[in-house]
Amino acid sequence: MMRSFRLCRGLVLASLLLALFGAGTVFALDYSSMGISPLVQAAGTMLERGEYSEAIPALREVIVRTKELTTADGRETLQNARFQLGRAFFMIGKSAEGMIVLEEYLKDQPRTEERLALRLVAQGCLEAEKWDKAAEVSGRLLDMPGLSREDLLNASLLCGQARFRQEKWEECIQPLLYVAKKSKDEKLRNVSQIMAVRAQVEANQWNEIFGVVRSLYRTDAKYDITLNLTLMRAGKALFDAAGEKAVEEGKDDYLNALFLYRMVLPREVLLDQANLRLKALEEDLAKKTRAGVKELEREELQKEIDSVKESMTLLKGLQPYEDEVTFRIGQIYAEVKRYWEGFVLFDSLYQKNPSSEIGEAAVLQSILVLYDMGEVELAEGRILRYLDENPFGKYVRTLLLIMIRDNIIRGNLDKVGELKEFTRGLSAPTDDEELALSSDLHYMMGYGFFQKQEYQLAGEQFSEIIDEYPNSDSRSDSIYFRGMTSMLQADYRGAMLDFVLYQEEFKGGDHYASSMFREGVCLVGMGRVSEAEALFSKFIETYPENALVSEAYSMRGDIESAKDGRDDPKTLDVDEYDPHTLDRALADYRKAIDKHVSPEQASYAVFQAAKVYKIEFKWQDVIDLMNYYMDLLGEKADVAQAVFWIGQSQIELEMVDEAVSSYLDAIERFGEDEKQVGVDKIVLSLITIANKFLSNAERQDLAVKIDLQQSAAEDTSEVLNLRLRVAKAHLEGTEAAGALGAELFAEQQKLADTTPISLSLMCDAAVMAGDAEGMGRLYDYFMENFEESDLLWHAYRARMFQLMGKEDYNGVLEVIDEAQGLFGVEEYMGWAQISKADCLYKLSEYIEAEESYNMIFGVSEWRGDLYAEAMYGMARCRFAQQDIETAHAFFQRTYLLFKGYADGKWAAEGYLKAAECLSLLGRDADAAKTLDAMLEDTYVNTLPQADTAREMKKEYGGA
Amino acid sequence: MTKAVLHSAIAGILLMGGMVHAKQLSAELIMGNGRSWKGKLVGRDGDWIEFSTGTSAQPIRLGASTIKQLNFNVNVDSEKVMTMMNNRQFERVIISLSKVIDEYSEYSDIPSNLSKYNALLMELYYRTGKYEESLAISRKLAEDGRNRDRQAKARVYQILALIDSGKMDEATVLQAKYGWDKETSSDTAPEELYIKAKLLLLNKEYSKAMELVAKVIVFHSHSPDWIQLAEILSAEIYIELGLYDSADEVCRQIMVLYKNTPEFDQAKLLKVKIEKLRTEKKVAEDSASEEV
Repeated sequence: MMRSFRLCRGLVLASLLLALFGAGTVFALDYSSMGISPLVQAAGTMLERGEYSEAIPALREVIVRTKELTTADGRETLQNARFQLGRAFFMIGKSAEGMIVLEEYLKDQPRTEERLALRLVAQGCLEAEKWDKAAEVSGRLLDMPGLSREDLLNASLLCGQARFRQEKWEECIQPLLYVAKKSKDEKLRNVSQIMAVRAQVEANQWNEIFGVVRSLYRTDAKYDITLNLTLMRAGKALFDAAGEKAVEEGKDDYLNALFLYRMVLPREVLLDQANLRLKALEEDLAKKTRAGVKELEREELQKEIDSVKESMTLLKGLQPYEDEVTFRIGQIYAEVKRYWEGFVLFDSLYQKNPSSEIGEAAVLQSILVLYDMGEVELAEGRILRYLDENPFGKYVRTLLLIMIRDNIIRGNLDKVGELKEFTRGLSAPTDDEELALSSDLHYMMGYGFFQKQEYQLAGEQFSEIIDEYPNSDSRSDSIYFRGMTSMLQADYRGAMLDFVLYQEEFKGGDHYASSMFREGVCLVGMGRVSEAEALFSKFIETYPENALVSEAYSMRGDIESAKDGRDDPKTLDVDEYDPHTLDRALADYRKAIDKHVSPEQASYAVFQAAKVYKIEFKWQDVIDLMNYYMDLLGEKADVAQAVFWIGQSQIELEMVDEAVSSYLDAIERFGEDEKQVGVDKIVLSLITIANKFLSNAERQDLAVKIDLQQSAAEDTSEVLNLRLRVAKAHLEGTEAAGALGAELFAEQQKLADTTPISLSLMCDAAVMAGDAEGMGRLYDYFMENFEESDLLWHAYRARMFQLMGKEDYNGVLEVIDEAQGLFGVEEYMGWAQISKADCLYKLSEYIEAEESYNMIFGVSEWRGDLYAEAMYGMARCRFAQQDIETAHAFFQRTYLLFKGYADGKWAAEGYLKAAECLSLLGRDADAAKTLDAMLEDTYVNTLPQADTAREMKKEYGGA
Repeated sequence: MTKAVLHSAIAGILLMGGMVHAKQLSAELIMGNGRSWKGKLVGRDGDWIEFSTGTSAQPIRLGASTIKQLNFNVNVDSEKVMTMMNNRQFERVIISLSKVIDEYSEYSDIPSNLSKYNALLMELYYRTGKYEESLAISRKLAEDGRNRDRQAKARVYQILALIDSGKMDEATVLQAKYGWDKETSSDTAPEELYIKAKLLLLNKEYSKAMELVAKVIVFHSHSPDWIQLAEILSAEIYIELGLYDSADEVCRQIMVLYKNTPEFDQAKLLKVKIEKLRTEKKVAEDSASEEV
């Protein structure tokens, strides 16, 4: 990079020589015999002719003769001779010798050519790689006053180069930038700028560098290989430094690295440009050689050619760096939150070579960036594309994990399930990292299914980890959560084994205490109540501050309250009378309330305690407890439920007005919140109170109050308004409630405003209307939003009828099983049992069907129409099995025992079928008699079946 | 666009202190058949041009349509213009250039060496928000095929001015006419990407717009014409995407990299806007959490 300026000074020196030595002709070479004046003249002539070598002896002679002179003229001649001698050495390429002479010149006086001498010496020092000296001399030159523009330029160049070589980065920048700015020589400008950039990089002058680099990039200097390598190296150093710093602190380094990297050009571009430059230089050299240009100038060119070749060799020796640079730039963009820029770069790398290592790393980064900026859809699209394009790619597991985790976080559990198929096609893990990822994948998948409440699928994933990845980090969690999945599927034995295993294997594990608690729950589920009680006691004692201790108290309270006055826990082996079980249960519930860490824990204990008080008829205690509970939890309390209990207690205390008032107040306060399902209970309870305790006038008053509440409610309070409409309809009677349900269903009431009381009416209306689509829609909404509601059975019923309409009998049986599992044999659940029996009959499962019909007689609450229908059903089962005699007996019982039910429908059918049985048994006369009896039976003889009887009678030979 | 481009547009064509005659204008006249004369334009009479070569007593009369190009001796103080550009005195440059060009307005229908000045004016009008004036020039230059680079640039400015003056439909039609409505590829030119990004931004397709403008930034970071504009556009789109930290970072980088540029000023304003939006967002979030 060193630049020479010696050629541009020929004219200046020549004129000086003329002035100093005068012109003349020299013929003799024996200078010792010459007088001083002819000698000086001879030297001057030779210099003028450019005969520097020849002039040297003459100049030496002059110096010898004048060295001892003390006169001004003598000193001047001596110094001039020294200057010219030094210069002559430089001109013939003996700069070392020239420097010695010039240094003598510079030590002495007078120094009329001091600037020129300094320039020559500095130049010589540079060539001799004496950087310190070059810097000192050029610095001295720069300090001289009144320098011309050219002097300043040359001095700056020399000084800049020297300090650059000394690696005095900060000091060389200014002179180099001066040259870069002022020189008219483009090449010189570029070289100076490149050196300045390198120095700025080394001096960490980032803010200054970018201006320089920007202007450099407007010129061909941007193709300089050294510059590009410098920028790349500096970029890497900054990038690495940034990575070791805190986010904010490293931001500037990232930014600086980014700017440097952005300037780096591709290797091919640099090599192409270098080749072009090389070609131009070589042509120039050849041209100058042909033209006989001085050797020195040619040497300069050759040096430049060598320099270009050297940098090309260096560049060719490097591994391709473009992709790495692109990747780093992408990383920087992502780090500084310029996500889209990062994404575009990573994506381009992947597109360029999807199966390369860097391409795969890039696709991972690109997807992470998309997630960072919330472009989830795009990210998932990329993941699925990658899985499709690269099913055995390096990051298949990682990306699946990312996608599953993200969907779990965002609650898109269906999508988690959909990804399961991708995990099936994975190749076997080949190293520890893949093993760990596979295990994580199963764990996340299991966790997703767990969240989705698909416990069996979740359990399968956890089992996979436990069985196939014994060293997995997720093993402990998997054992615990597999236990949970089993427990939630009521497989208490399996669950308990896992909880016990966890406690054995992971004594200090995160889930140790929870496992102990869950083990207790499992024992309860398995009916091993005493063991459970002991375990809960142990848990309470061992973990008095654990988050589950409230639940442990509640569980123990439940056990105590269920003892019905037996089994003192202190003497588990003795089944003695114990009058204090309920007291202990209440004490536990109180503790549970005190230790609660979530509103749910407190609520559970409070309402369980209320049930105990109810058993003991301690209504005032219920009221006090509910008030305490609402004070304790404030907004987080289940206020509606609490008010419901207060109202119930007030009724029991014969404080009917207070109860009604409490209920109306609660409806008004909480009625707009559709999630406060307790409000629905209050509405229904209010109706019960009204029907049971209020006079007609009082009921009318209540209706007016409800109307007033409706008027007062804002139009926007749509949930409250709907609840009040339902309350009013129920108050008017079952028919009015049914009509409202039909109206809401027909008008397609906005479901977002509905709650269980309105939804249940709509479900019934959908069944009445036989609208299968409506039944399905309402069932789905009900299940999704109010799964815990006491009125959910209406939804099951609607679903059952929908499936029955489709003749999907197996589906019907599943729904009924689920509904009966939740609601048992409550009075309102008769429809489930009769439908189950009908369904089995339709499936030709006659024995099971008869059994199901028969079970109806075991539930006294179902006495009535359902009994009639069940008896008729049993008869049909026998009839279908060709057991005509028994069938006849059952048909006969139907019309004999249940003629007053269902407006005689089943009795009428029973008559007809009984007659048919008798006919089949060859007893046509008896059949005719049966039909006669039917036609005389006032319960049935006006029904349409009577016409059928008359026709049949003709057939059986009757009159 | 950037200073460099503007400078290069002026480079080599700006001379000192020449004088332009009201009626007689020094010019080189190049005919369709390749012949050329140097002399003075004496005047114009409709489609006829009077031209004096100085060798004959009477000026010759030529049909305007037969002249291929007029090369005027245009005199502009280049250093002064450069200084004004550096100081971002765009209005002053516009006035100076307009004054020069106005002298030749009588011959504006004939192709001339004034195109480069017009191109510069077109850019400056655009940068100063005078879209109609910019359009008036770019429409002409976009049809002038003598210099392909200039023509391409004029087309870009034509669409940009249409977009920024709200003439979206016209811009879209032109985009299709110039073939810039195709799918982008790895070698799509930065100006095409930039224009598409602007159109997508106006259509509120922020993510797509951002992807394209990001491509300008990362694949054309050496392109001084587009990088600064693209950076500002990216900050604007990040704001629309609600990614205020990203927008803020872009502005910060612009302010470090492009000091003393219009983009620097724009970035400064955008930073204020970002702060305001952040505050509004925080207030909204706070009140939402209070409601909860």
